[in-house]
Amino acid sequence: MKVNPNIDELLNSFLDGELPPRQHVEVQRLVARDPQVGRRLRQLQSCKTLISALPRAEAPGEMLEQIKLSLERRALLEEPSVSSRSIAGRWQLIARRFVAAAAMIALLGVLGVVVYQILAPVSGTGVNGPVAKNASSEPLTDDRQGGPIPVAVAEFSGRLEIRTASFLSTSAFISRAVEENGLSRSVESEVTGNSRIFRVASTREGVNRLLAGLSEIWQTFDMATLRVDRPGQYTDAVAVEAVTPEQAIKVVAQGSAQTAVETARNYAQMNAMRRDMPAGEILAMIHDDASDARDLTNIDEIVRSAGFKPKTLPAPQGKIDTTLTIILLRTR
Amino acid sequence: MERLILKYQSRIFNVIIKMCGNPDDAAELTQETFVKVIESIDKFKGRSSFYTWLFRIAVNLTLNYLQRHARISTRSLDAEEPEADGTAESLLRDLLSDDRVVDPAMVAQSRELCDLAMESLLKLEEPQRAVIALRDIEGMNYNDIADVLNIEVGTVRSRLSRARSNLREILESMVNEGESKHR
Repeated sequence: MKVNPNIDELLNSFLDGELPPRQHVEVQRLVARDPQVGRRLRQLQSCKTLISALPRAEAPGEMLEQIKLSLERRALLEEPSVSSRSIAGRWQLIARRFVAAAAMIALLGVLGVVVYQILAPVSGTGVNGPVAKNASSEPLTDDRQGGPIPVAVAEFSGRLEIRTASFLSTSAFISRAVEENGLSRSVESEVTGNSRIFRVASTREGVNRLLAGLSEIWQTFDMATLRVDRPGQYTDAVAVEAVTPEQAIKVVAQGSAQTAVETARNYAQMNAMRRDMPAGEILAMIHDDASDARDLTNIDEIVRSAGFKPKTLPAPQGKIDTTLTIILLRTR
Repeated sequence: MERLILKYQSRIFNVIIKMCGNPDDAAELTQETFVKVIESIDKFKGRSSFYTWLFRIAVNLTLNYLQRHARISTRSLDAEEPEADGTAESLLRDLLSDDRVVDPAMVAQSRELCDLAMESLLKLEEPQRAVIALRDIEGMNYNDIADVLNIEVGTVRSRLSRARSNLREILESMVNEGESKHR
């Protein structure tokens, strides 16, 4: 039988149930009337059935673990991937060298200014002149007694803004969490009008103990925003709105300030997506399986760290490399 | 998200393996699909369903991979395939006879027949293979396929029709080759 593409299209659509009812009936009549068309229909049907009947392949059991590992690896890697490097062309290489040279010149310029500021003669009494701050490189621990909290080189620096209507109870809860986690000497607190500020300078573990403790009341917050400072600066690099305790812990737990910023940026994008997407669309996009919507919003579970136990612990030991300012704001 | 991965991983893997033919490559591409989904979830605007968006990423990754490698890896099939004795070809000839309607259970029970069907699928051009995999393996409707492949529904209709027609020719030629080999 000579194959007619138009008839074939019609028959395939018929087989797949993709014809409107009227056309469907017409094809049924055509098949009944014309034996050649009926024969062709059976030929196409046998092809369809042969492929449809192939056994279903199951994904390897370790797929989920591999995905988690891959995500964590990518989050930690700062360099571009090997494949992207391999496609970098000659011009890109030249451009990179040029940028590197320009950066070097700029760096030398900055160094020159710094050296000049230090060595230049100071006029007058010296009150207004440059003051060399003693940035000790020795590891600091929580053993100190009183006085302002010194911080060497903070590897993580950020602010957690909490807006809540339960201002007093939240404030009391934070104070208690500070004590229970052995952080009394690591926190400075001040009250200003409708806000209370807790300045925490401790180890990563210490700060994360506190955040884990706060997770108990996190749901009562009207809004929690984590602002992660750019490495070496005290300006906002990333603001993670609607941050969850797990996300905050994960950001603080990063091995370097740079990876903390990267991780925070990922969470910021993720949370923005959640915010912009109405719940109804989330439900629709995953085919009527309402329970899946919760999973989509629990993306952080994939990279969630092991739980913390914040009850009445001794002061954390180690280098104080993490500063987190918790700003508690009354919403009404 | 864990539950979403668990829910869709085998469906994605099943479509990809039918497109690329190699379980190792399919596992890697499935993994890459979910990593890409998670990393670019902020780009998902909800214009299409999550389901078709997920499959779009999977199919695009697979098609790109196949184009890059310009080959179909059938290592697993080759490695495990027993010496053909003509039984499968004979069975296939019976199935392809014009008066019969193929019994899916019979196909599923015959390993050799499944291998022949898979081999024929891998001989199709990649865009045709993709449309067959989405329709006959995943069971998508034409609208969803059009969404996944970013083509018109009419194009899905014609491409699928050509694909099945070509598949039929490939299967017939396999039967003929098998018979002449064992004659």
